[in-house]
Formats: sequence, structure tokens, C-alpha cells
Amino acid sequence: MIKQTRPISRRTLLKGAGAALSLPWLEAMMPTSSRASGKTERPTRLAVLFMPNGVREDEWTPEGEGTEFKLSPTLEPLQDLKNDILVLTNLWNQASNYGDGHYVKTSGFLTCATINKSLGFDLNSNGISMDQMAAAHTAGKTPLPSLELAIDPVSIGVDTNVGYTRVYGSHIAWSHPTRPLARETNPRLVFERLFRAGNPNRDEAQRDKLLLDRVLKDAGQLRKRVGASDRSRLDDYLESVRSLERRVELASRNSKQDWSPQADMPPELKPAGIPSEHAEHVRLMLDMIALAFQTDTTRVCTFMMGNAVSNKNFSFLDGVEGGHHSLSHHQSKSESLRQYQLIARWHIQQYAYLLNKLKGFQEEDGNILDHSMVLFGSGLRDGNKHSPRNLPIVLGGGAGGRIKGGRHMVYQKNTPLSNLYRPMLNAFGSPVEQFADSTEELPGILS
Amino acid sequence: MNNPIALESKKKNHHTSKNPEPRFFENKVNCKLPYGIARWAWVILLVPATLIVYGEEDASSSDTKAITFISKYCLDCHSPPKPKAKLDLSRFKTLKSISAEPMHWDRILQILRDGEMPPDDHELLPSPEEQEEFIFRIEETLLESACGDGISPGPAMLRRLNKSEYSASIRDLLDIHFEAGQALPSDGAGGEGFDNAAETLFISPIHAEKYLDAARTALQYAFADTRSHKRFLIARPTDSTSPEEAANRILKEFLPRAFRRPTTHQEIGQYLDLFNLVYIQDPSFIEAMKLTFEAVLVSPNFLFIAEVPNPEPEPRLLEDHELAVRLSYFLWGTGPDKELMRMADQHRLNEYQTLTTQVLRMLDKKNAAKTRNFSQNFVEQWLGTRALGREFKPDQSMKEYDSELEGGMKYEPVFFFNEILAEDRSLLDLLDSDYTYVNRRLARHYGIEGEFREQPKRVELKPESRRGGLLGMSSVLAVSSLPHRTSPVLRGKWILETLLGDPPPPPPPNVPELEESEDPDTPQTLREKLEKHRLNPTCASCHDRIDPLGFGLENYDVLGRWRDEQAGKPIDARGTLPGGMTFNGPNELKEMLLERKDQFVRHLTRKMLGYALARGLTNEDYCTVNRIVEDLKENDYHSHKLVLGIVHSVPFRYKAGRNTDGLESSVKSEFENLDDD
Repeated sequence: MIKQTRPISRRTLLKGAGAALSLPWLEAMMPTSSRASGKTERPTRLAVLFMPNGVREDEWTPEGEGTEFKLSPTLEPLQDLKNDILVLTNLWNQASNYGDGHYVKTSGFLTCATINKSLGFDLNSNGISMDQMAAAHTAGKTPLPSLELAIDPVSIGVDTNVGYTRVYGSHIAWSHPTRPLARETNPRLVFERLFRAGNPNRDEAQRDKLLLDRVLKDAGQLRKRVGASDRSRLDDYLESVRSLERRVELASRNSKQDWSPQADMPPELKPAGIPSEHAEHVRLMLDMIALAFQTDTTRVCTFMMGNAVSNKNFSFLDGVEGGHHSLSHHQSKSESLRQYQLIARWHIQQYAYLLNKLKGFQEEDGNILDHSMVLFGSGLRDGNKHSPRNLPIVLGGGAGGRIKGGRHMVYQKNTPLSNLYRPMLNAFGSPVEQFADSTEELPGILS
Repeated sequence: MNNPIALESKKKNHHTSKNPEPRFFENKVNCKLPYGIARWAWVILLVPATLIVYGEEDASSSDTKAITFISKYCLDCHSPPKPKAKLDLSRFKTLKSISAEPMHWDRILQILRDGEMPPDDHELLPSPEEQEEFIFRIEETLLESACGDGISPGPAMLRRLNKSEYSASIRDLLDIHFEAGQALPSDGAGGEGFDNAAETLFISPIHAEKYLDAARTALQYAFADTRSHKRFLIARPTDSTSPEEAANRILKEFLPRAFRRPTTHQEIGQYLDLFNLVYIQDPSFIEAMKLTFEAVLVSPNFLFIAEVPNPEPEPRLLEDHELAVRLSYFLWGTGPDKELMRMADQHRLNEYQTLTTQVLRMLDKKNAAKTRNFSQNFVEQWLGTRALGREFKPDQSMKEYDSELEGGMKYEPVFFFNEILAEDRSLLDLLDSDYTYVNRRLARHYGIEGEFREQPKRVELKPESRRGGLLGMSSVLAVSSLPHRTSPVLRGKWILETLLGDPPPPPPPNVPELEESEDPDTPQTLREKLEKHRLNPTCASCHDRIDPLGFGLENYDVLGRWRDEQAGKPIDARGTLPGGMTFNGPNELKEMLLERKDQFVRHLTRKMLGYALARGLTNEDYCTVNRIVEDLKENDYHSHKLVLGIVHSVPFRYKAGRNTDGLESSVKSEFENLDDD
């Protein structure tokens, strides 16, 4: 005899799991406005490209300010995109001006908060990253709330010299102060993930719902058994399964998204795997960002072009011999500075590649770059000094007409970086009253 | 009976009445505990000899003597406003304050023992007797404080499997040769530097999706493989067997293996329900079974190691199956096998002798493929050789670096360590040995003659081979180099940090790394430049300890090949350490390290204990480390003593009591039984 059990809804399950289960962070954060209004909105995209190890300072800052400025040698690859970018001078990240030279500056880049000094036990970024604030806003509107990409796997081990786990140096996206988001490093897997998310199978979705329901119940049962301090780990898993379930539900309903992408995933663009050449690897990841935006599979993406302290060998560049981090400790020696600058310039070239690519995708009114914000930056300025003052920051894209490019903005010394994240979140459609240590909305960004 | 926690909370001590139907969550009485304790007690007996010496002095007199020593010989440099090496010793005003930080003082003592401090040029230097007495006094204080109140174990473990454990567990569960976890995100490390630390095994939204995908792919593979699916599809619907009955039989066999513990009727029933729901929609037995299995593999019961928390105030032994799981993920990096499960089912695993027998069985050569999971995960992260081909890629000018060489380099320390474990060799082989493992490419690289293939093979080393021990291994020599040249600073730092557990502090802010001072205009050798930099006392305080060690390895190039000269000049591999010890070349460097073997073994013990416990060590673990090291000293450093010492330790076999007052309770029974021994 087949014993039938009534499927228990997730709601019931969670109720049963106890009142202690807090609302998942992302939902609690999500404004109720846009989706409920049923208005078709033109999506804005947000990408962040993080570069480790800083820049050669005397060849970074443009000459002149406002609309009259000349790009520096490092920024020169952006010449054709000059009207699509803002170069921002004198922003600093005060919260990362503590601890060690790299980890605090990396994990705190988008949170503007100071991480706990920890080998792991009480790891805490003490903040939520700007991209995840934005992702919370678009949750449910696109198949994936956000995409986290990187070139290097999470760095090995803990750094006993300075007392930080290298987890810190490998993450810029934090959806919760104790939850750094895992990054995908293999472009093939990124492609497959985008493809799967954007092309769900309805029959499979029905069956997957049954499966996930079982898994959620197991998690709920287990959650009741474990100690209070460990519950958050199971909550993270519950949340992970539930976000998958939401996607499956979306697929099985076959509901229309509030804005339909104009492009499909072209299977022939699927990368074979991780290329052995660094430059090719970076290019493929940038292609995946462009594809994700073009197909509207997600609207938020962070990409770490290297982990903190990366000593990636850049000898594939003409005139460079040696590792990135080693060269960043240039000691003002001309030869090291020259090579250090070439590496930063190469990163700017990659940034320009993405901007150009987005600019090449036409949408109804304008191109994708016009509807994007693409931030480029590093968590420290000069690698020899490890100082988070006057950070190298460029913001590209028009944010749907909210940002007018072609300017070099020179702010007062020590203007909080967090002030920049406010207009950015505003333009993204998820305004915040306050971001970390921000003092005001950075003027001159939004028009 | 359905709520194990409620059941357990009624029990006191570690005793419970016999239940006719033993279940997983029941606490099993361990009658053999006192016997086990007696076996360990002698280790502790080593300690009291020192206790007697100072035992009669009152605390204040001991305090005065020790604190006087500190203020006389240390505080000139190690006090505010700018304590050297950021070490402020002025805050230690009593022995009690010292014993509150045993791990910290353990390192300070080491520096004293090595004669590195106080520096030779300090105005006042203690007499050897004075110094010895001080070290003795602090050692005694630390031990008394750490061991005197019993040992506090850590809390019940809750963590997900890491990427490599996931792959190995699926492989063994489904009996397939398939790397199921290859598409999972990489894991970071916490605690003692390993990626199995509960604290850094985060879960991102991406994980559930990845687990489902990985399970699906693995099961597709397993269901297509007749050999493999015979293993778990042990029943099929027939005229006399309904699909549900067949599914029930399959689940009864599969679920306990997947969840690594006995499962309840209720749990089987829940998965049977899922099977039925799917089967109703699409009556294909195989498809419905497959989906049910997918759910099992995405269930947190499979993905997590979840020990039941101890509801009592006092620490208690792990449940038998929990111990089996700790053991198998420690020594095999995968789930328990049939035999371990059987021992756990019979509640015998917590018996001293059974546990010993099982550990020795697990380490046996016959299980080399499984212990290699451990060797690889442990060694690659301890030594940092996982960076090969990842963080470390040599300059493109080194054309000879190809994938076969990289493979040979990567696996040399893994196979080597695996032999030390399987053959119960001395842990000191890690410092120097007359054998190693090479493949065809690596043999050529080392200039070793013989027949080799792509798979690493054991080779006896001749005295003139210039290999032997970790410091002769090209993987170690490479990951402690820069991509384009060797770095005595990095190699010296590697030795201090990795072998001796004595990482130098980071350079002061805004001080450039010494390394990068290559200026083509000044024709100096790297040694000359480094020596010049050490004239700066700020730099010298650390680099005097770091650089000479690295210079001892200058005969090895970036990829670890032997060289007698560089750029036309003979290699100078001499080094002098603070305290005056000198050496020339790798052999003498190794001899010097062998003289510091106890420091090395202590560090290795800490590392392995941290790995076994999947967490960072705390001051509470000091006593355990100390006992294991004492035991190793008495037993010629045999590797099995280390593994057994860890497995038999309180932190490994117990879980902490419920934490109500912020103070963890400890296991005192071991000391209470001392008198009986």
C-alpha cells in the first residue's frame, strides 16, 4: 500500500522550526515597491571590478578636473570611453585603515566596515556589501540575484603573520556580516549556471519542488536538534535551498519577468574551462558578466580580478618580470614602478574591454552600458604604503541616464568612499538613508 | 524517545540504564573509561617531577622571582609605548596572568630556549641557571594551570563537508570513480589553517544549486554503471515485490550509509514518501529512485557533520557513530566504512583497545588510497604546496616546468607522508630521510637514476643525492620562492612558520619588503643587500632569524634543482643564527633543525590536532598538545603515537558540556584516577 503524506508547505515547516528563525536577510531588506506596482522598469545593472595591490600613484590621477581633464598614463586605455566614465579622486575607506595591509582593505572594500581580526573563529565583516544591498532589491526579478566571480580560488590557509584568515582576502561580497559569498572561478561553470537559470525545464521544476521540499524538512528537523549557536549555519543552508526553490517555483509558474531580455544564451559561446593564460581567463569572465547582463539573468555582479596579496606572475606583459604583489612593493625604484604601472594599466584595459562590450549591446533606448554602473577600484592606493586614502576609483556607465560621464571629480581630502555607494544604490533603485560611515550622498554623481 | 535531547537531559553523569532497543542518540556507557585513563596516566606522571621542586614555595615568592626576571631582562624592549615585536610583557604581573595565556607563553619560552632572547647585546644577561630556572618555573605554571583542572573539550561539531570530503564521500557511497565535487566553490581555511574548519565552511546561496547539480551528475554516472548500481540498487520491483517494497529495501540499506548513522523508521518513511510522490507522477522505478537519491545527497544529513549537542553541564563522550565519523574524516577524509559502522553499531568504538585497533587498521597500507586523502589534505595545506599551479606558477622562462613535473612535485610530500603514517616511521623523517617518492619527470629533475613512470614511486636516496626530508623537496622549495628567483627571506620565513611554528611578525607599516631591493645599477649580490639591510636594527630584529635559514637552501633554485653556482659565482649557503649557531648548506641546516626537533614536533602536533578537531586550538588544548609531545619524545617520535595520542585525547573523544555560565567544564576524571595507577 502506498502511504500518502500531505506535503507540508514551506511556511508551515518554518513555523514549526520555531520562531527563532529570523526572516532571511535578503527578504527583510527588500523594498516592497517596484515589483508590486507592476510597472515595467528599465533595469539598471551594477558590476564591480576589484583589482588587488593598488596602483602607481603618480601615474593614476588625471590632470585637470571637471569635464576638462586629461587621462593619466594608467587610465589612457579608457580614452575612447572618456565620456562614459567618472574618475573619482580623494575618496578613502576609513574603516579599512586598521589592521593589516591587505585583508581589511579587501573585505571592507564594498562594506566600508572594519573586519574582526580573526583566523576564522569569530570571522565577521561587520557589514553588508554595497552590491548585496542592490541584489536584495532585485531578488526575484531575475533568475539569479547576483553573480560573484573571481580568478583565484579562495587563498590557502590562514596568515599567521598578521592573524587573519585568507578568507578575508578572497571576498568582497558579503550578504551578511558573517557570510562571505562563494565565487565562481571557472567560466564554463558560470556559463552553465547562467544557462540553467535562464532556461528552466518546467517538468523538472515540478519534481525538483518535491525534492527540495524533502530537503527543507530535513534541514528543519536537523535545525531543531543542533545547538543554538550552530543554528545560523543551518539557516544559511535553509536560505540557500529556499533561494533555489524560489527559482524553481518561478520556473514552474512560467511567469514573465518584469522586463524581458533581448538576448538568449548562445550555447556556442560556452567556454571550455579555465584557460591556462591569465589574460584569457579574465576576458572570459568579463564576457560572462556581459552575457549575464545582456540576458538579464542577473543585474548585480562582482568580479575579483585577483585575491588580496595576489602575486600573480605578469611576465606575459611586455616589460614585466615578476609577481604583482612583489612589484607593488616598489620602494620608489624606477624599474619596479614602471612594471607596477604596466600591471595597473593592463587591468584598466580589461575594464575598458567590458565597458566597450556593454556599449556594443543595443537595447530599445540606448545600450547596456547606458543602463549600467561599472565600478573599478582597489582597496588601497599605493601598494608600497598600504594606505586606503585617495583610492583609485572609476565609475563607468550611465545608470539609465542618472549619471553623466566624462568628468574627473576631485573631492575634499578624505571623503568617505561610502558616500559614493549611496548615489549608486540610489541610481540602482534601492536608495539607503545611510551606508556604513557615510556622511552624505556624494555630490556630483547623479544628475 | 523521539526527542533525544530531552531524553539525554534527564541523565546525569555518563551512565544510563540499558535500553532494549539501542538507538543512535542514546548515550552509551563507556565502562572501559577508567582502564583507558590508566593507560594514559603515566604520561602525566612525567610532569610532577617539576612540581615538587617549587611546590613548597608560596605563590607570592614564585611570582616575585618570575616577574623580577621579566622586568630585569625583558622590559627594556618589551614594554609600552612601543614594545618590540608588538610584545608587551609589562602586563604580566603574576604567574596567574602568565598561565592565562599558555599558547602565547609557549612561544616565548621557545625563543628563550633557543637563546634568541634576551639578545646578546642586552646590558644585563641572565646566568644560564637563572634562565633555566625561569623557563622551568613558567613551564610548570603553564602545565599546572592547563592540566590541573582537567581538559575541556570543544563543543559538538556542526559543519558541512568541504569540497574534497564531499567528493570522497560520494565516491565511496556510490562506488564510482568520479570527482563529484569538482564544480563546487573552493573553501577557505580557518583555525589551524585547514579548509575543514567549521568556522570558515560558509554556505552561500550558490551551494544548494551546486549540490543538486553535483548529486544529479554523480547519480547519472552511478546509475549508468552496472557495477556501481548493483551496489546500491539491491532490489527491483517484481511480480512479488511492489515498487514501494523494493524502494524501501534500497533505502534501508542506503540511508544509514549516506547519513553515516542508523536511521529511524520515520526517516526511511519520509524518503519513501518522496519516492511514491514521484512514482505516481511518472511510474518509472529507476527515475523515481534516482530523484529520491538526489534528495538524500542534498539533505543536510548527508552534507553536514552534525553532532548532537551535549545538554548536560559536564563534558561527555561522543556517541559511537559520531566518533566513527570524526575518525574517518580525520584519517580518511571520507565517511566511515562498514567495519567502523559495525564497531559503532556495537557501541565498542569508545573502548580503548578497539579504538586503537581501528586506528591502526585505518592507517594500514591496505587503506593507503584512503589515508592519501588525509595525507594530501593535511600536507598540502600545512606545507602550502597546494599553491603549486595555483598561487605559484614559475616564470615562463622555466620551460622545463610541465604538468608531469608539477604532478611529481605535488605528490612527493603526499606519498612520503603517507608512508610515514602507514609504516609508523619517525616523524623526524620529515626533517631528514634516506627515501622519497618521485615520478619519471621528478627523478630526472633530481638526477636520480632508475626506471620510473608518471605515478610516484619510492626511491632510496644515496647520501650524495642532496635530497631527503621536506627541505629537499622541490614543491616546498618552489612555493617558498618568487616566480623568477629564489628568496632567502621567503624560505626562511617558511621554515620558521611551517616547520617551527614560529612565524615572524609582519614588517612594520610603510617599511618595504627587504626582498625587492634589486637594483640593477648596484652590483651587489642578494646576500650583500640583505646583509646591508640587517644593519638597520629594526629590520635586524626579525631578519637576523629569517634570512640565514633561507640562505642555507640557496643551493636549490626556484624549482628545487641543485646548483653550485649562480651567475658565475659560487653559491654561499652559510648562515649564522642569533645565539651564534652557524651552518653551511642544507645538510647542516637540517642537522640544526633536528636539534630543535621538539619544537618541530610540537608544532606538527598542534597542526594535526587542529586538523583532527576541525577547529582552531585554544588555550584549553595546551595540555593535550603537551602530553602528546611528551609521549612522542618517549617513543622515538613514531607517527602512530601522534595519531593515537590525538584520537585518544579528551578533545577528540568528548564534547563540551552545555555552556550556561560562560565557563566550560572539563574532564577531571583522568586526574581523579591518578592515585589508583
